[in-house]
Amino acid sequence: MNPVILLIEDDPQIRSFLRASLVTQGYDLIEAGTGREGLALAASRVPDVVLLDLGLPDMEGIEVIKQLRGWSGVPVIVLSARGQERDKVANLDAGADDYLTKPFGVGELLARMRVALRKVVPAEEGRQEGQYYLGNVKVDVERRQVWRGQEEVHLTPIEYKLLTVLLKNRGKVVTHRQLLKEVWGPSYIEQNPYLRIFILNLRRKLEDDPTRPQYLLTEPGVGYRLRDE
Amino acid sequence: MPDPGPGVAQSIQPEPATSGGERLLVCLDPSPFSMPLIRATKRIADSQQAKWYALYVETPAHDRLPLENQGHVAQALYQAAKLGAQAVKVSGFRIGDEILVFARENGVSKIFVGKPYARRWRRFLGTSLVDHLIWNCGPIDVFVISGEGEAAAPAAAPGPKPRRLLKEYLLAAAGVSLCTGLGFILFPYLALTNLAMIYLLTVVIISSFLARGPAIFSSFFSVAAFAFFFVPEYFSFAIASTEYAITLLVMLLVSLMVSGLTARVRHQARAAREQERQTAALFEMSQNLTAINSLEELLQVAAEQLARTFDSRVAILMPETGEKLEIRAGYPFADEDVREGMVARWAFKHGLLAGAGTGTLSAVKSIYLPLIASQHAIGVLRLESSQPGRVLDAESLRLLEALGSQVALAVEHENLSRQTQGAQLQMEAERMRNTLLSSVSHDLRTPLTVIAGSASTLLEGEETLDSFTKHELAQSIFEEARRLDRLVHNLLEMSRLQSGEAMFHKEWYVLEEVIGSALGQLDPQLHDHPVSINLPTDLPLVRIDALLLERVVINLLENSIKYTPPGTPLEISARVEDQELLVALADRGPGLPKGEEERIFEKFYQVSPGSARGAGLGLTICRSIIEAHGGRIRAANREDGGALFSFTIPLGEGAPRLDKPLPETAEKN
Repeated sequence: MNPVILLIEDDPQIRSFLRASLVTQGYDLIEAGTGREGLALAASRVPDVVLLDLGLPDMEGIEVIKQLRGWSGVPVIVLSARGQERDKVANLDAGADDYLTKPFGVGELLARMRVALRKVVPAEEGRQEGQYYLGNVKVDVERRQVWRGQEEVHLTPIEYKLLTVLLKNRGKVVTHRQLLKEVWGPSYIEQNPYLRIFILNLRRKLEDDPTRPQYLLTEPGVGYRLRDE
Repeated sequence: MPDPGPGVAQSIQPEPATSGGERLLVCLDPSPFSMPLIRATKRIADSQQAKWYALYVETPAHDRLPLENQGHVAQALYQAAKLGAQAVKVSGFRIGDEILVFARENGVSKIFVGKPYARRWRRFLGTSLVDHLIWNCGPIDVFVISGEGEAAAPAAAPGPKPRRLLKEYLLAAAGVSLCTGLGFILFPYLALTNLAMIYLLTVVIISSFLARGPAIFSSFFSVAAFAFFFVPEYFSFAIASTEYAITLLVMLLVSLMVSGLTARVRHQARAAREQERQTAALFEMSQNLTAINSLEELLQVAAEQLARTFDSRVAILMPETGEKLEIRAGYPFADEDVREGMVARWAFKHGLLAGAGTGTLSAVKSIYLPLIASQHAIGVLRLESSQPGRVLDAESLRLLEALGSQVALAVEHENLSRQTQGAQLQMEAERMRNTLLSSVSHDLRTPLTVIAGSASTLLEGEETLDSFTKHELAQSIFEEARRLDRLVHNLLEMSRLQSGEAMFHKEWYVLEEVIGSALGQLDPQLHDHPVSINLPTDLPLVRIDALLLERVVINLLENSIKYTPPGTPLEISARVEDQELLVALADRGPGLPKGEEERIFEKFYQVSPGSARGAGLGLTICRSIIEAHGGRIRAANREDGGALFSFTIPLGEGAPRLDKPLPETAEKN
């Protein structure tokens, strides 16, 4: 059965271009032009992924997310304009899973959707496998060991924790706040500079060229993303 | 009409008499009759289209005039200046001579004097002023204009403060008596003529300290005492010989002349002091008013200086919306007397001096001086002495007027320059808008043309095009769309930065991450340019808006990519220098045109107009952002070829340390 995508977007041109590309990629697409309509469809059709535009005529995108999260854990990908970094963060912290900045290419959209859909496939299973690869870096979760080529890399407990949180969400953006909360705890959610220092150290230990990271990517103004291969 | 305010100069520069151009002179005196005289002269001057002067000769007697009359003089001069005369005041003893000297120096052809006043000025070597003028005027015509009845003539000036005068007479008498006592002691040793000298000395001393009356009195008294006590027959006014009579006569004449001369010297010294005070005050005011940036400041400075100069409370009132006068600067008067406001309005409306001590509406506590610029009042100066009941003397009134006109001119100048500045700003904005429109429309149309063309080709040639061409067309649509997006983004960023709406979200950031993120976003475009990065690992954190700083790095990189040949390397480096983080981006391209290194940061500047892509906004945005962070951005040519862009970010206090991160929390599974 094809995955069902709910597109909540008021602009007909964008809808028609997404319809063209998603249907040819083998997705079932249902469309809504307003937030209310979208919420109704989300309840009746139970989609696998929701694509949500932030500039809806009837309600704020963040309202849609909050209401949706009241009864559904469906992955939500937010479509937003550039320069709305604060909105993005607010939406992500309110429960959205990822975002795309307009204008975007279909390639990017499909990649995000694949990550989102993978979450629906039992997420914890991947972790049970015990081993992840980031290029020539191998993370052995069971033994708590990280290898770069043939050499073992020594991570501090916090660095390791940070890495595992990113691994758990690989391919998906994680906001500063989410990372701080998961790694350090709820009372550290405002300590962005410390997070940056740890990310810097982690990059220096894992990346070939820490100034041009290939795996630990920065999402400007939002958070970090671990590249998914 | 030149300067509407009366000139303060004691004498004015002689101007050559122009042939044909009549020059009239009206002589003022301290009476209300001066006003009709001025009006009459004005009518004649108008009918002959003549330049005219209003002259007041200030004699030592001026000080003894009642304040009301002193006010008449000030008012008359002021009014004459308003009616187009050149109002002048000179100091002198002999009114007639001063008038004639002034008339000759200024090429005056007709002199107007008031008839009733010949009576008041009649004591002029036994002749009246009019007589004196007529006898000595030479080629100048003298016109005598009759007044409007004797009622207008003021009563003869009562002596100033009779009590003080009495005291001075007593002092003079005491001085002469003392001298007489001394004479008795010295009588056996001195010749009669030397005794007379002691009396003369006494007269000189008395007349240099006391008023003229007591001085003359002392002359007569000393001659009488000398004749009575020391000239034979002793203790009698009878004089023994004609020789003694001559001695006494000479003594009387000499002492009278001495007392007169001394009084003149004193008057001139006082006039000089007054002149100096006025010059100093005027100079100070003009100095103070030059270094002023705003109207508010100007009014404040002017009010403060006036308050100092006149030891008074001073406020400057200007009409706000409507006709209502509001205090704009100076002492915040809160009036219980509604008349104050009425007098202020009257002075403003009529452009005339009014209030205490001016002879017009003088029942209030303050003096109101209209500030006149371009022949209409722009405000009113209010001045109230800090000592209750004290009014300004005529001299101070004149100074006040002169300072007032200086302030008025400065205000007008300020207003004009503000208008000019506003107009210039508007023109600049207009020019910017036009440049923006043409530049943006060009830059928007180019990618749109490519997109529309490629898309329509794809539509038309669906069957004929091979798959490679189709891919090419789709690719160019995609790239042009990206380009449009960047352009629009830069435009929005620019307008946000320029309108001051940009909110800066500054946090402590690692520079390495900002550069890395910028490089990551430009990945596809950087294929042709190897980038070498040289960052010390221990760079301190900087407090920045990372998104904006990332924009700086992206724009600088895009700029380099745009202007350098493919394959040439780019180098990014950073170091700490003088409490600043210095970031540099160097390329190996053709470099910058000489002398244009700063201009490239200007809006819409392009090295070769039209050829390059982008609206020339990228570097301007960089500069705005860096300056908003308190840093500087520069461009230069490298000695061994290529361009070097660098910017600085000040290092803030309290940066989180790289080597002291958060204490690691206990490990949890």
